[in-house]
Formats: sequence, structure tokens, C-alpha cells
Amino acid sequence: MFGKGLLKGLKITIGRFFGKKSTVQYPEERLPLPDRFYGKPDFHYDKCIACNLCVNACPNKVIKLGTETVEKKKVVTGYHFDQQYCLFCGLCEEACPTDAIKFTKDFELTTYDRDTIGIEFVKQGQIDKKIKEVKQAAAEKAAAAEKAAAEKAAAETKSQTEEADKAETTNKEGGA
Amino acid sequence: MKTQEMLINVGPQHPSTHGVFRVVLTLDGETVVKANSVPGYLHRGIEKILESRTYPQVLPYTDRLDYLAGLLMNWGYVNAMEELMDTEVPERAEHIRVIMGELQRIASHLVATAAYSGDVGGLTGFIYCFRDREDIMDMIEMVSGARLTPSYMRIGGVAADLPDGFLEKCQKFIDYLPTAIEEYNGLITGNEIFQHRTKKVAPITAERAINMSLSGPILRASGVNYDLRKARPYSIYDRFEFDVPLGSNGDCFDRFYLRVLEMTESARIIRQALDKLPDGPINAKVPKIIKPAVGEAYAEIESSKGIMGVYVVSDGSTKPYRIHFRRPSFINLGHFDELIQGWKIADVIAILGSFDIVLGEVDC
Repeated sequence: MFGKGLLKGLKITIGRFFGKKSTVQYPEERLPLPDRFYGKPDFHYDKCIACNLCVNACPNKVIKLGTETVEKKKVVTGYHFDQQYCLFCGLCEEACPTDAIKFTKDFELTTYDRDTIGIEFVKQGQIDKKIKEVKQAAAEKAAAAEKAAAEKAAAETKSQTEEADKAETTNKEGGA
Repeated sequence: MKTQEMLINVGPQHPSTHGVFRVVLTLDGETVVKANSVPGYLHRGIEKILESRTYPQVLPYTDRLDYLAGLLMNWGYVNAMEELMDTEVPERAEHIRVIMGELQRIASHLVATAAYSGDVGGLTGFIYCFRDREDIMDMIEMVSGARLTPSYMRIGGVAADLPDGFLEKCQKFIDYLPTAIEEYNGLITGNEIFQHRTKKVAPITAERAINMSLSGPILRASGVNYDLRKARPYSIYDRFEFDVPLGSNGDCFDRFYLRVLEMTESARIIRQALDKLPDGPINAKVPKIIKPAVGEAYAEIESSKGIMGVYVVSDGSTKPYRIHFRRPSFINLGHFDELIQGWKIADVIAILGSFDIVLGEVDC
């Protein structure tokens, strides 16, 4: 009979009409996102060791890493993430040996203008603090080294005098 | 009566062209006399871009070829790289690839089925297919972190192991799929209007299909039994039991229905792969900086649209000298101009829909 297939289709849609809804009211209701989701990137300043691996891993040259050498140590002075060219492939996260760059679950990344879409993760305060820390550590190390050297020198002079004393006594004994 | 031919432009911005594809039709009344297809509106020069990327960096770009089957495109590339570098992929990685690849194939076929239903006029079927595709998208997101651009495969393995809860979710989906397919058949396949629009429309003979180098569901709808997974098994496909569905007439209806049948077969493969899934490493030992020896490799996989071939030439540096993709949609589309001649303008949309092209892949 012509129209049998049509009726069968209608039966399916009517059955579905009274069934459970498959949709959610998006901005109010949200479906849970999986843990591996690649959303807005996040950068941990203290974990970064300025190895440049993420910069080299990126297919689109999104990441600009600025470094400065303070007391023979590399200090991160800038981490600019140009989000508009990001493919969200996660190759930078995979390359990072210290998990300094991580992707969050934030996916609503629209901005009103181009200037705000790139993210500069590093704040001037963080750099100043880090440089201060590095300098302080270096100074402490230098002081410790100096102290150690002084102690060593003192110990050496002491042992020398002791030896001299010893030699004197033996001489005296021998003389007797 | 004297008639005058009319030139009509379909696309590039037209919902039924599935992207940005343009066809210039010469019509005699309603009948197509001549067709001239103009692809290229989505050309991004990916093959050229890749010459300035390192080997691992190529991967995210392959997602953007056939963006409805990103994982299969990944697979095509890593397959060629593994042949070039002579890498042995661990068992578990191969099984994960098969599971994810077949899920992606179902997703791609669901879009084809859905869009075809929409093209021919039944938007209900479209929504029903997309509802179920969403489950697969959730699973892909769970495993790779992205829905359409997973970048999940790696040279010598996969990016990460399957997360907790994936196997149960996948099993549940596979168990549910037959019910869903029954719904599609009731809504789309069994619909008389749909059948009138598609049956005996634009048949392709087996001989012509082979001569035009068609591949994938379009070729098999013409009755040619050629599926790379059976004909020349890559990965571990020789270990699974599955049939290759074949069409008999090669018309639009066969091309459509073959995809529905293939979904069931894919589900069969996934079920076997889930049962057999071994423990072990998910990555082969591949050097951190990939520098293949001077040479070239060409490898093919059966993508959801047809035979996806990747040709890689290495000059011994960290960047490929040349990468070429044999994109099935592009080659299948080569027969389109000739095929639509003599058919009515309303059939043009039905024929184009049955080809299931993805413009990201056509234009590359």
C-alpha cells in the first residue's frame, strides 16, 4: 500500500514526541565536559623552566616565550599565547616536561576585539619576584661559598700550625 | 517549439552543496544539458603548508581535510609515516585505532545519511541521525579532547590510553545502534517519497565506476566488491569478521542505503575489537625528534568516503619534502559533471548528496 512507509515514519516521530528530551537548555544547563577537553590554555609561571619545547612543538607558532639570564639562570619574562591561531591540538601540553602549560575546560573564548584575544600570562610582579628570588639565592650561595672557603682556609692554617707545633715537639724530643 | 538554454549557478554558498562548492548548470527547461563544477573555494594549500611543518606538526592539519572523519584522516597520515619509518605499532594501539576509526566511520556515515535525508526534503531524519552522532562525538571528545579535530593518533601509536568509562559507553552505544538504525529505516529508507526521489536516479555501472576511479560506498553501491579493509588489509583488519555490503543498481538509493548497512558492519568490528582489546603499551619506540631516512612512502586506508592515500617524501630532515593526499571525495566528484547530464535540476541535489562530499577534503 502506498503511504505505509509514511505512516510508519509518523509512528516513530509520535513515539519520540512523548519520549525523553535529548537536548538541554544550553546557557543555563550544561553538559559535563571530559577531563581531556582542550579549552582556554593556562600557564603556571613557577613550573616553567624556559626549555622552549612548547614553542617548537606548536604547528602555528602561537607561543612566544621571553627569557632573560639572571645570574646564569634562565628567567621567564614573557609567555604570550596568541589564541586566535591556536588549533587546540594539545601538542604543547604534550611536549611540556613540567606541566607548565595546561588546557582548561573554558570554551567560551569570544572577545570583542583582536587585542584582547592573545593572552600574556606573565605579570611584571611575577618576574620581579622571580629575579629577586634568583638573585637572593645566588647571593646566599655566594655567601655560603665564601663562608665555606673561609672555613676551609681557617682549617688549613690551623692544621698547618698544629703540624708546625708537632714538628717542634718532635724536634725538642729528638734534641733531648 | 524553440527552446532556449539557460545558465544557472548553484553555489558556492548553497546548503545542499555541503560546503562551498559551485556548479554551473546549462539547463534546457528543467533538464541539465551541461554541468561545470568549480571546486576550490575552501582551498587552504594544506599540502604546501605542511612542507614547513615538522612531522608531528602535520597531524593537526590532517584533521581539517575531511572534518567529519578527522580520526580516519589522522590514521591515513600516521599509516604512511609508519611505513616510511618502518615502525611496528603495539597491539593495544592498533585495537584502539580500529575502535576509534570505526566509531568515526559510523559518525561520518550518520552525517551522510542525515544530510541526504535533509537534501531530499525530510528534515526529521536529519535530526534523528544527528542525535545519535552526538553520542559518538562525546566519546571522541572523551578520548581525544576535541569533537571534530581530535589529533588523536601519533606516529607509532595513539596520544593517550582510553579513559575510564569509555569501554562501557562504547559498548552501550553499540548495543543501542541497531534500534537507531531501525528508526532511520522507518523514517528515511522506508519513506515512499524518499524512494521515489532516489530509486533509479543516476545509476553508475560497475565498469564506469572503475573507469572513473571511484572508491568507497559509491563504488560498492555499483556492485564492485572492493573494500581496502578486505581487499588489502592494513592495520589489523584481517583479524576481524565482517562483510562488505554491496549494492546492485548503483543508483542514489543504493549509495544511500549502503552507508546504513556499513554502520552495522562497523559496529560488528567494534564489538570484536572491544572483546579482544589487549593490555600493553600504546606507543611504539619512536625518537623524540622524528627524522626519517631519505625515501618515500605511499599508504592507503579505507576512509568513510573511499580510499584515502597519503604520499610522503622525506629528504632526511625534520620536515617533509612533500606530502600529497589522495582525497577520495575529490576523485569521486570527478564523475559528477558527467553523471548529472540529462537529469532534472531537482535530481542534481539528490545526486550530489548521494556522493557525500566534504569540501575540506575536496579542496584540501
